[in-house]
Amino acid sequence: MHDRIFAGVNLLIYVALIALAWGYQSPFAYEPVGPRAYPLLLLSLLVLGALYQVLKPAKQTEPREEPPLNRQVIRKIALCIAAMVAYAALFDVLGFILSSALFAVAMAYLYDATRVQSAVGGIVIAVGLYLLFDYGLDVPLPLGMLAKLGS
Amino acid sequence: MDTIHYLGLGFGVALTPYNLITAFCGTLIGTIVGLLPGLGPVNGVALLIPIAFALGLPPETALILLAAVYLGCEYGGRISSILLNIPGEASAVMTTLDGYPLAQQGKAGIALSLSAWSSFIGGTIATIGVVLFAPLLAKWAVAFGPAEYFVLMVFAITCLAGMADNKPLKTAMAAFIGLALSCVGIDANSGVYRFTFGSLGLADGIQFIVLVLGLFSISEILVLLERTHHGHKAAKATGRMLFNFKEGAFVLATNLRSGVVGFVLGVLPGAGATLASAVAYMSEKRMASKDNQFGKGDLRGLAAPETANSGAACGSMVPMLTLGVPGSGTTAVMLGALTLYNITPGPMLFQNQPEVVWGLIASLFVANIMLLVMNVPMVRIFTRILAVPTWALVPAIAIITSIGVYAVHSTTFDLFLMIGIGVCGYILRKLDYSLSAVLLGFILGGMMEDNLRRALSLSNGELGILWGSPITVAVWALVAVMVALPILRAWRGRKPAPLAVTD
Repeated sequence: MHDRIFAGVNLLIYVALIALAWGYQSPFAYEPVGPRAYPLLLLSLLVLGALYQVLKPAKQTEPREEPPLNRQVIRKIALCIAAMVAYAALFDVLGFILSSALFAVAMAYLYDATRVQSAVGGIVIAVGLYLLFDYGLDVPLPLGMLAKLGS
Repeated sequence: MDTIHYLGLGFGVALTPYNLITAFCGTLIGTIVGLLPGLGPVNGVALLIPIAFALGLPPETALILLAAVYLGCEYGGRISSILLNIPGEASAVMTTLDGYPLAQQGKAGIALSLSAWSSFIGGTIATIGVVLFAPLLAKWAVAFGPAEYFVLMVFAITCLAGMADNKPLKTAMAAFIGLALSCVGIDANSGVYRFTFGSLGLADGIQFIVLVLGLFSISEILVLLERTHHGHKAAKATGRMLFNFKEGAFVLATNLRSGVVGFVLGVLPGAGATLASAVAYMSEKRMASKDNQFGKGDLRGLAAPETANSGAACGSMVPMLTLGVPGSGTTAVMLGALTLYNITPGPMLFQNQPEVVWGLIASLFVANIMLLVMNVPMVRIFTRILAVPTWALVPAIAIITSIGVYAVHSTTFDLFLMIGIGVCGYILRKLDYSLSAVLLGFILGGMMEDNLRRALSLSNGELGILWGSPITVAVWALVAVMVALPILRAWRGRKPAPLAVTD
């Protein structure tokens, strides 16, 4: 059932993309193919495949290795995704150390650490990784707000 | 004779102290990355690319590092399979079948050392195969034009789907999604912006590091979250730590056969280590006598997939180096790294930069020996690493992944894109689509379009050029076989097939 819904949603997306790709034309033709033939070819094959999946979804033959999702797990996954999005949003603003520390504390707590463990662990991870990457491996990382303190 | 001369040159490169240290660090990192849940060879290698750049490594050293990490992952993946019953990566799934029962019987030490030995044999057989066949193939591939390359990539895609036993359609769809993703961004030939939705961040396409880390790291983090919620237990590595001569001799024939199987399947574009370990396991099981212990802790069942996946890891270097067509997800990432260094892999590489190619091949030998030496006595230390709790591991992985993505362009747009791709990847994975097929499709997609358009420009739009030469006709015939295979299988075996490949 899930397969069928997924294939159906995909089908709509592919059709929308075909409509979009139809308009891709170059003002000058240097070569016979042009920019839209290849994406259109791929998308039409995807449409055919998705149609087949909607009409005749695959049967589940082997037992699943993971237990099915329940409400609690879904809630946790949503929280985890929210934490990652917040981290991405704060990365430049707060700088690497602050945003990573906040993120690591939240994630550790989400993965069943105690409060003390996640607070200490999160800060250690953030500072440790900053030292490792910025000083040890020469990968530049943003300091954000902390840069003002340093100067 | 040429081969021996070049191999000597390669060892000259691989045995410089700098490259030896690099190989050692690579194997060590690889083993750890392979055994940690949540990191596999694909994202391990992808994460190291920005670091290799930041450290200013020369191309051959960077390649040696990446190859050493790749091999190390194949060694490390077995540790968590045997002790935790959790494969560290897809190609280690078959190792759990007999490895975990052995650990439960208190033979974890034997299983760990024997599997390291098996990996060594597989890697060595396949590296010899690389030495023998890669130059031949490279010589032959010089004759390839854009039409031949295009057909070859069609073959790689169909190979991927045709070999993915129980769900060929889903795998094919996954590969096509990857192909379609490669169209995003500005079209180099005409300057038209495709599927960018007006976003500047998408103008030069999706960065492959963003795609790799999104698909593999982010989705894995979410899967780990499920697993922590349900909980699992580790077996202890107890008892005798080294296998004895009798056990080694018992599996030697299995090792040799599986090594060859691994190499051959590794060379096939698109097949890779996951398939090789499954095929080796199944054929050994079929060959064994009736009273075999397969599935309950047979040493041969442990040796077969371990030998094969190391063999395939080395074998998949052949199509990458000679044709520039990756044989597995990880070599696809390495190919991306090469293009970042402005090196175009392919037959000309053997003539123009022999020190890169042969240095890499020689370092495969070196890395295999290092891994064997490292893994047998140090297995106890590596097993300790498994005791690191998930709550400490996951935030670290998530942050390192973000650094890897941020380091490419220094924009947070890529971070958002990675999370978006990761969530889609998680959904795909939950619905049994193969993520490595998406990645291979993505890497092949750009090359496929370029070659198609180049071929049709040569012929002035005449489609006949695509089947105009004997090589293309032969490859099309192989494509037809690959398309027919799953249909034949479905038609012949209406009952569910017993062979189950999980990737």
